[in-house]
Amino acid sequence: MIAVVTTMTTEVPAPDRVTQEDIEEAARRKELIIRWISRISGYVVVLGLWEWASGAVLEENLLPGPTRVLQTAVELFQDGKVFPAFGASLSRILLGVFLSFIIGSMIGIITQNRWFSGFFKDAITIGLTSPGLIWVLITALVFGNRWFGPILAIILTTFALVSVNVAEGIGSLPKDTLDMARAFKVNLVDRNRHIVIPHLAPYLFTGLRFSFSIGWKVTVLTEIFTASSGIGFELRIAQILFRQDEVLTWILLFFVFALFLEKVVLQAIEDRFFRWRKEIAST
Amino acid sequence: MAEIKIRNLHKEFGTGADKVVALEDVNLDMGGHVFVSIVGPSGCGKSTLLNILSGIETPTSGSLEITQSGHKAAPGYVFQAARLLPWRTVMDNLLFVQQDKSDETRARCQKYLEMVQLGDKGDKFPGELSGGMQQRVGIARAFSIEPDVLFMDEPFSHLDAITARSLRRELHTMWADTGKTIIFVTHDVGEAVELSNRILVFAQGGRLEDDITVDLDFPRDAADEEVAIAKASVLRKFEEFDLLAT
Repeated sequence: MIAVVTTMTTEVPAPDRVTQEDIEEAARRKELIIRWISRISGYVVVLGLWEWASGAVLEENLLPGPTRVLQTAVELFQDGKVFPAFGASLSRILLGVFLSFIIGSMIGIITQNRWFSGFFKDAITIGLTSPGLIWVLITALVFGNRWFGPILAIILTTFALVSVNVAEGIGSLPKDTLDMARAFKVNLVDRNRHIVIPHLAPYLFTGLRFSFSIGWKVTVLTEIFTASSGIGFELRIAQILFRQDEVLTWILLFFVFALFLEKVVLQAIEDRFFRWRKEIAST
Repeated sequence: MAEIKIRNLHKEFGTGADKVVALEDVNLDMGGHVFVSIVGPSGCGKSTLLNILSGIETPTSGSLEITQSGHKAAPGYVFQAARLLPWRTVMDNLLFVQQDKSDETRARCQKYLEMVQLGDKGDKFPGELSGGMQQRVGIARAFSIEPDVLFMDEPFSHLDAITARSLRRELHTMWADTGKTIIFVTHDVGEAVELSNRILVFAQGGRLEDDITVDLDFPRDAADEEVAIAKASVLRKFEEFDLLAT
């Protein structure tokens, strides 16, 4: 008798393979979660301490808590005070930073010449080292509440930042790449458009970014001293009337708006124009 | 076929006590489907000659003619470093040097990217590619303008030996397929013997010391006996002209 032995094999589906990409994606997700948890924790701790300190450490009139500030913010929005105040400050900043950018860039360009470099050398050093408050005081004394006082203060505080960045960008123009373009008979317009401007863009952007953040501080300061509109003006009125909740509300709104500009608007511009850097960083 | 005529070419840098002679009274005729290598020690004027040929620098005196069927020839250039625009994609880097940016031109650029094995990298930024790949893009860029004559300045000197060897083979295939005139500067005698059918030996002070014809079949391999003998023969010329000491 022959015994027939058969073996049966059961196909077990292979587990899904974990690729390097999956591991990297999981690590990225984890990193993102940790970053957001820590960021939110920071807000929760500060707001919690603030709420507790209001009443427990200082009287509520002297230190209104976040809930009171939030209520005041809603009231200010309902009264239609917020947008005109921000509009007035923002228009001053934009005009001031724009003019500072033009003047600073021109100085950055002409300082490539040795004579102009000597001519502007100390002015740029003073511009870089002087606190904005000096220009705020001077322009407030000279121009009072005339509209160009804050603009001039912004220009005097920030032009040197733009000049230095532009000069550095021009000084480091990639000669090899420009020679390459010349060897391939690329015309001057295309050389400037595709080599000079993209090379200068990060320098210009850095100058613009710093000018903008300093411009905010200078504008609010000048408005506190002289203006009859804007965030600084509203802060001064609230302080005179001893409305501490309004003072804190304006400051908080200022923080929120500054964060929005930095993290959303400027970040979007940076992502759009400097995508190639991100691509390189990710490799 | 491109024709290059160089007559009494002289190039000096600086003045007075700082004067340096980079090229001294060079006379040359090159042209046709030829691969010419220029070899010599550092500072012998190899790159200066190439820069003058491509119009990056002007000679102090002498004349230079690069023609194609009686007209001014269009040159292409491959540099020691790829010199790509980091903010433009690989395809845009090729399009940057084109006179027109039509679909036809784009297709031609794609063809040359494929010839250097980078057909799928057109949308990548240079920073995402390895050094060898970037140099390939530089080669594709030079070929993509379909030049009459191609100038190459030590294009493989920054690369590792294996990558350089692979690129040399690709370059040689492209030269054979396209029938271009290639003028190739190198300090590597072995590379010159492997690639060229004519080798110009330059000495310090920019003097053309010798003009050697390498009459061996392609493709050549550095390990081949005939190639090794030819290399030894060129190196003997170096000894003869006392170039090794420099």
